[in-house]
Amino acid sequence: MTTPEPLAIPRRNQSARLENWSRAFYRFRQSWLSMVGLAIVVALIVLALLAPFIVPYPEHVEGVTNTAARFQPPSASAWFGTNALGQDMFSLVLVGSQVSLFSGLAVVFIAVVVGTAVGAIAGYFGGWIDEILMRVTDLLLTIPSLILAMAVAAALGTGVFNMIIAISLTWWPAYARLVRGEVIGKKEEQFIAAAHALGAGWPRILCRHILPNIVSPIIVKASLDMGFAILTVASLGFVGIGVKPPTPEWGTLLSGARSYMPDYWWTAVAPGMAIFLAVLAFNLLGDGLRDVLDPKARR
Amino acid sequence: MLLFVLRRLVLVVPILIGLTLLLFVVARLLPGDPVGLAAGPNATPELIASLRQEFGLDQPLPIQYWTYLTGLVTGDWGMSVFTRRPVFEDVLTYLPATLELVFAALIIAVVVGIPLGLLTAVYRNGVLDYATRTLALGGIAMPRFFLGLLLQLAFAAWLDILPLSGRYPLIEIPPETVTGFYTVDALIAGDWYALRIALAHLALPAIAMALSPLATIMRMMRASTIEVLQQDYVMTERALGLSNRLILFKYVLKNAMTSTLTVIGLYVSWMLGGTVLVETVFDWPGLGLYATQAILTQDFMPVIGVTLVIAIIYLFTMLVVDVLYGVFNPKVRYA
Repeated sequence: MTTPEPLAIPRRNQSARLENWSRAFYRFRQSWLSMVGLAIVVALIVLALLAPFIVPYPEHVEGVTNTAARFQPPSASAWFGTNALGQDMFSLVLVGSQVSLFSGLAVVFIAVVVGTAVGAIAGYFGGWIDEILMRVTDLLLTIPSLILAMAVAAALGTGVFNMIIAISLTWWPAYARLVRGEVIGKKEEQFIAAAHALGAGWPRILCRHILPNIVSPIIVKASLDMGFAILTVASLGFVGIGVKPPTPEWGTLLSGARSYMPDYWWTAVAPGMAIFLAVLAFNLLGDGLRDVLDPKARR
Repeated sequence: MLLFVLRRLVLVVPILIGLTLLLFVVARLLPGDPVGLAAGPNATPELIASLRQEFGLDQPLPIQYWTYLTGLVTGDWGMSVFTRRPVFEDVLTYLPATLELVFAALIIAVVVGIPLGLLTAVYRNGVLDYATRTLALGGIAMPRFFLGLLLQLAFAAWLDILPLSGRYPLIEIPPETVTGFYTVDALIAGDWYALRIALAHLALPAIAMALSPLATIMRMMRASTIEVLQQDYVMTERALGLSNRLILFKYVLKNAMTSTLTVIGLYVSWMLGGTVLVETVFDWPGLGLYATQAILTQDFMPVIGVTLVIAIIYLFTMLVVDVLYGVFNPKVRYA
């Protein structure tokens, strides 16, 4: 009688997790729209980071005016033309990308952190904690978020950080709802019972066992929300609440251009196109990520 | 059915009470002194104190809230500290303008979006499909206020065929008020001239507001139609030799409508909350401009009033959507 040979498992030069990611990236690459989105997003981030070094007229960003060169149409020396104060629109829009991208990122980050904490606690403990947290969440969801953000931003006073806080305040409830649903679905799974049996406390179960398993929907929503966060930041700037000049911000620039609209259209087109491009790029990227991470939603 | 509607209507009351409480607490927690702003920089402390007393702001918060809550029922929604006008009357004045704009945008979005979604699903991967899908991607990302500016530039400044802004020319007298919707009032009065003017003013802001919902409704409709077209019963109908038109409009459309309905319902509240952006661009005298004015002076009563109205309309829309589910899908008809 011969002893059975141990089954030889072929060696892999990639860990399973890495292989998953590379497969996901392969799927992502299949859609050229997602790749276009990714390319624009990377380009925007690089431009925003490099802005202080490549801005052609840094003094205009500081608020220096040059009234001799008011309303110059787009030309080789001022790509996007100049505004009512003779400032180079390209410099303003370029540096404005820092404010817009940073605020968008900060809003989504705060919303994800707060929303995940509230949703996870509500979903995990259930009972009256869940009841109270979710009623507050539902109420916040019925309020028109733009009006609430405007009111809070106006009361807190102008400034990038106040604006970020005001918008985040209206954004976290959506994440709380999402995370709560996912946590409720996961907490009945076998591996959670196993973790309980091994004596793990609730913080460990939540952070080590449940949250890592529900990261995908959160990432998908966050990436889809980035574009809308940038849009909301610009909206607040446009109605005159939020960032105030001389800090260049796309919405504020657009609102300033409104009064000179028919004749000096370039002052509006440059920041407007910047907003459009940023929102479009993040939407494409988000769509691509959703297709990869959430195959059920694929159409 | 009736019972279902009644039950839902009763549930609205605690939501509204919670909402007013939340808004009240938020308004008081925030820094900012509306009375100080309204009284002006040269106001004496005595004047400010007497103003605070006049508006009841010297009372403890629970009493203020109770006064507000009991007032709500009788149509007293508080006073604006800044304009000293009752909020309820102001809201009633500005509401029709906003609703007219939102309805017009909704009609455009639904009337264009649903057939386009159906068509692109049937002629999938055709030229029309690619063209509309590209436009839809852009439409969702396009900021309403920037689109508004571009429309003004194209149709008012360059082509000069539509008015730049406003709801009705100042020198003209709008049609007699019945509903507050200028277009409907003009129709009722049989005044074709007024109808033309009202529609011309309405066109650009409505399009600016409609593009994003239109794009989403179209995508949603396309996706759900494609899903329904792959169902077995559609193949059975084909095998039975039913005409394409009959299959599409009698069986597919109804089934594809349900998920699109949810999106349409959500967009009503999105448009109401975001109407301020379009109203700013077009100087449209609606709730959004009214709320912005109040927000800039930190005048909280009008803000709470506007928020409350929008929340009520939102809850009502969701109820209508739920009832419509039953129309399109007998399986979810309510006992």
